[in-house]
Amino acid sequence: MSHDPLKREKEVAESFISVDLENIKGMQFFDPHVHMTSRTTDDYQSMADAGIVGLIEPAFWLGQPRSGIDTFRDYYSSLIGWERFRASQFGIKHYCTIGLNSREANNEKLAEEVMELLPLFIYKEGVVGIGEIGFDDQTPAEEKYYRLQLELAKEANLPVQIHTPHRDKKRGTQRSMDIAIEHGLDPYMVIVDHNNEETVQEVLERGFWAAFTIYPFTKMGNERMVEIVKQYGTERIMVNSAADWGISDPLAVPKTASLMKLRGINTEHIRMVTYQNAITAFGQSGQIEEADFTLVKEIDQSKKFAGNTILRGGQQPRIDKSSIIIS
Amino acid sequence: MIGNLFEEIIKQNVSADGWNWLAEKVALVNKGVNAAQLNIAFATVPGKTGKKPIEISAMQEKKIDVLLPGFSIRGWTTDRLSRVWLLMNLNSADKDDYIRRIENLFKAAEMNELVALYSSLPLLAYPDAWKFRCTEGIRSNIGTVLEAIMYENPYPSGYLDEPGWNQMVLKAFFTEKNVERITGLDQRANKRLASILCDYAHERWAAHRVVNPQLWRLVGKFIDENNFSDILKLFNSGNPSEKKAAALALSESDFMPAKDLLNQTTNLKNAISEKTLSWNSLVKEMKNFSSN
Repeated sequence: MSHDPLKREKEVAESFISVDLENIKGMQFFDPHVHMTSRTTDDYQSMADAGIVGLIEPAFWLGQPRSGIDTFRDYYSSLIGWERFRASQFGIKHYCTIGLNSREANNEKLAEEVMELLPLFIYKEGVVGIGEIGFDDQTPAEEKYYRLQLELAKEANLPVQIHTPHRDKKRGTQRSMDIAIEHGLDPYMVIVDHNNEETVQEVLERGFWAAFTIYPFTKMGNERMVEIVKQYGTERIMVNSAADWGISDPLAVPKTASLMKLRGINTEHIRMVTYQNAITAFGQSGQIEEADFTLVKEIDQSKKFAGNTILRGGQQPRIDKSSIIIS
Repeated sequence: MIGNLFEEIIKQNVSADGWNWLAEKVALVNKGVNAAQLNIAFATVPGKTGKKPIEISAMQEKKIDVLLPGFSIRGWTTDRLSRVWLLMNLNSADKDDYIRRIENLFKAAEMNELVALYSSLPLLAYPDAWKFRCTEGIRSNIGTVLEAIMYENPYPSGYLDEPGWNQMVLKAFFTEKNVERITGLDQRANKRLASILCDYAHERWAAHRVVNPQLWRLVGKFIDENNFSDILKLFNSGNPSEKKAAALALSESDFMPAKDLLNQTTNLKNAISEKTLSWNSLVKEMKNFSSN
């Protein structure tokens, strides 16, 4: 970028494309990795407005380590209870994957207790996989609980959602795949997450699903994503936001779809990587019914009873954000 | 036996495979199995029985109401009824063990599982053991869970103490539920609740929000010099539904000024004594009005 402030301003203006999701209006999206626990209600509303009809919330690290088994239980239970309800209020179908994340696998005493708890949750309705599991620092403890959870996935016949590490990513990704194969998992049942230009080729060649996280600064940008799809096509490729408590974007999937459209990728290909592939991959759990996406949407905001709006199943009323008046 | 009736209804509503699976699990939990087997059976019900709304004959509905007055399964889905039936068949010989198993199901329950669990309260063994659990459920903010406790469920009116009951009724108004579906609503009206609800109405009025006219059905019997002005306000509000609600409340009162006020509106008074105006007819009227 130029050092001349005037020139630089012009360059920024040219590279800046304002958010206008008009070109993807009417499309449906599925975000297969988003941590809604860490997001606000406003996010649900804008996600629904942007066309997101379903999502998967993988169990993860909450930003600080848990100190006891009961907080794990309550966290898992909130993923299949409260969070599911919160999403339904906005007409979004909420699924989750359940697992012990790699960071907390390093607290072995607690990890043992979590392993005993997991069978209580993985058979629940709407649990579409074991996840997100894998490597963070690539310690022996991480490997031990990764292996144990692969066995659990096999036993329950559930897909696996693998978190790949930030540091030493390429080797960590290879190792995750090697171990999955060693345990006899079908690569078609394994979704390798947080890919980039360096990892994608091998993941696809070995028959795994390749997920890409559009996350500012630390993971993929969506312009790079457009190039990936141009180069590799759409088979076994999916896009997610992994939005969480960091600077992230719960609209990453629809925004990426919109950018793809602007850059000339055809609608069917966009649909594959922002909706269908994720459903095909995680649908192997037998837990995803596309018909439920419309069922959860049956919002009737207009029904009034005794002067009060009846929001079926607890649907949330809309507020007019353009008004300064709050009533 | 209501269990036999449920069995018959489930058979009618699920596939042969689903039925065979469920019957086998029911036999198992009845004989006594380890906790993990119960947990997995309970969790995996929807995959086996489906989640369609059940179909049920008018005769079956009537039978249910005779066997367990105030209870209904209208609008339930097959998985919900199947889960409840599974729980009804859980071996209850060892009280502590039985309670612990069911409590553990609550602790790790998914949203639809919670609905089934709370629906089952009036059908479980050791009914006194679930009072705290019921009040916990009332603290929930999940709409469908609240409805499972509030609608056509005789457990709360049968077992909750007065503060617990009052909390539930207030929450039902607060969350804009169809309060007429609460089993035992009129029977458990009490002076303390009437006063709580009048305070609530004042708050709503102060905020320029509407008050569900049905609130006054719980005040009628307790009209006194403190709350008479509220009824008077309602009576003179100019809103026909509110005037009818005021008249209905007045008709339930022995307070002299209340009787005098009701005498001023002969047509409403007559409609009430001829039973053409009742709380139920008022609810229907308001619903018809709103859907037009």
